[in-house]
Amino acid sequence: MHFLPHAYLDPGSGSFLIQLAIAALLGLGVASRAYWSKIKGWFGIKSKPRDGDDESENK
Amino acid sequence: MTNQKINSGGLSASFRDPSGFLFSRGGVLYRQVNHAYAGEYARLMDSGLYERLVKAGLLIPHIEADQVWAESEACFKIIQPERVPFISYPYEWSFGQLKDAALATLSIQRRSLKAGMSLKDASAYNIQFVRGKATLIDTLSFETYKEGQPWVAYRQFCQHFLAPLALMALKDVRLNQLLRVYIDGVPLDLASELLPWKTRWNFGLLTHIHLHAGAQKKYSGEAVKSRGGSMSRQAMVGLIESLESTIQKLDWTPRGTEWGNYYDITNYSDAAFEHKKELVGEWTKRLHPVLVWDLGANNGVFSRVAGETGAHVVSFDIDPAAVEQNYRQMKSDKIENILPLLLDLTNPSPAIGWANRERDSFGARGPADMVLALAVIHHLAISNNVPLPQLAGFFAETGKWHVIEFVPKSDSQVKKLLTSREDIFPDYTRDGFESAFKEKFNINSARDVRDSDRVLYLLERKQ
Repeated sequence: MHFLPHAYLDPGSGSFLIQLAIAALLGLGVASRAYWSKIKGWFGIKSKPRDGDDESENK
Repeated sequence: MTNQKINSGGLSASFRDPSGFLFSRGGVLYRQVNHAYAGEYARLMDSGLYERLVKAGLLIPHIEADQVWAESEACFKIIQPERVPFISYPYEWSFGQLKDAALATLSIQRRSLKAGMSLKDASAYNIQFVRGKATLIDTLSFETYKEGQPWVAYRQFCQHFLAPLALMALKDVRLNQLLRVYIDGVPLDLASELLPWKTRWNFGLLTHIHLHAGAQKKYSGEAVKSRGGSMSRQAMVGLIESLESTIQKLDWTPRGTEWGNYYDITNYSDAAFEHKKELVGEWTKRLHPVLVWDLGANNGVFSRVAGETGAHVVSFDIDPAAVEQNYRQMKSDKIENILPLLLDLTNPSPAIGWANRERDSFGARGPADMVLALAVIHHLAISNNVPLPQLAGFFAETGKWHVIEFVPKSDSQVKKLLTSREDIFPDYTRDGFESAFKEKFNINSARDVRDSDRVLYLLERKQ
């Protein structure tokens, strides 16, 4: 496993590969959201902050 | 952590991680940080991540201790984490507690990524309830995040959190007990098989459980070759957000349950109930226990009375609905010193894991300073056929002071237990109770509960 030569936890081969596939797809969503908020930014619309951001507290 | 035995330098639950281990000296708990982890530790502390997580109530605070106790050359630093009043395990948590633990883990991962770090494990056992909040207690769980690298703890997160939560919400809430058998979380092929077929229409469950299980089967035993495939930061964020929203949508609200509305259907009057609260309040104020176990706590009414003295109260009940209700109430009232937990007194949590020493049994996490057993004895003595002398022996091991309610045969609750079976309990009388318990305890006080046939005892264990 070239990613994590020192990992002490076995991430599991199948878990690794499915994660890459799922995350690639989900990453597109995150990227498009980022572009969208940038476009909205040009028109002066601010995006709402998300849960779990640094400022929020553990409920 | 309190009573785990030390084996070859470390406490028995922390032997896996080469970054360091827990040990105890003179009753104080320490964590050794090994040289191998020095860089990661420095990054955690210097990046401001530690401070932000502690401030948000997501990570246990620690102080750096003197190094004189260093046990081996591997030692870089000794830290002293804040002590957790009572260690609990995921198979003792209600749905809401496991869900909060899962969301806390993801919130930590999200904040870590911002600081250039990532969680290298996502074990439910690394989370404890501290001041009422799900808190990471393993300070050595962080590693430097390298862009391109997938989340090494993804499999563990799905097994420890997502699979049991989905099973509890969508199949049966009692399936959290699978965690008692599978210490590294519910195997995903099992979860996939048990979940209703329609969960394949839920994108999160389809991918993180069903397809994940399929991939594990397909690639089992195969090494992952370095064939391209790396994971961008955006992809990592997308993965964490997807897990978060999948878990957010899982819900379980207690409905028709065993004890859920127990207090509405009790046979005794408000006066009796209030009198019991009065006595519990009077005795806890007098004795000032530090750790109280409320056994058969239902939704925690008496735990709250005991908790008013500032004691740390663990509020155990067998009914997942009662524990859930109790937890939600504590949360909304911001009560920090009461921990609701799921426990079957007739079959309490065993010691599990490697050499049976990774997770302590219920008994090994005691004794408590005070035990409340209100409206419980008749269930143990009659429904579970435990002879009174054996009950006395069990209680003597769980704590010093006991508030025990004796519910006689004339009480309608006991009559109900006896309607469907033969009365084979000739000794189940007030006298029989007293003579059995006098073997182990001194009777400090015995008060008739107003407006009922019940008696509330304050017992002190004989030395």
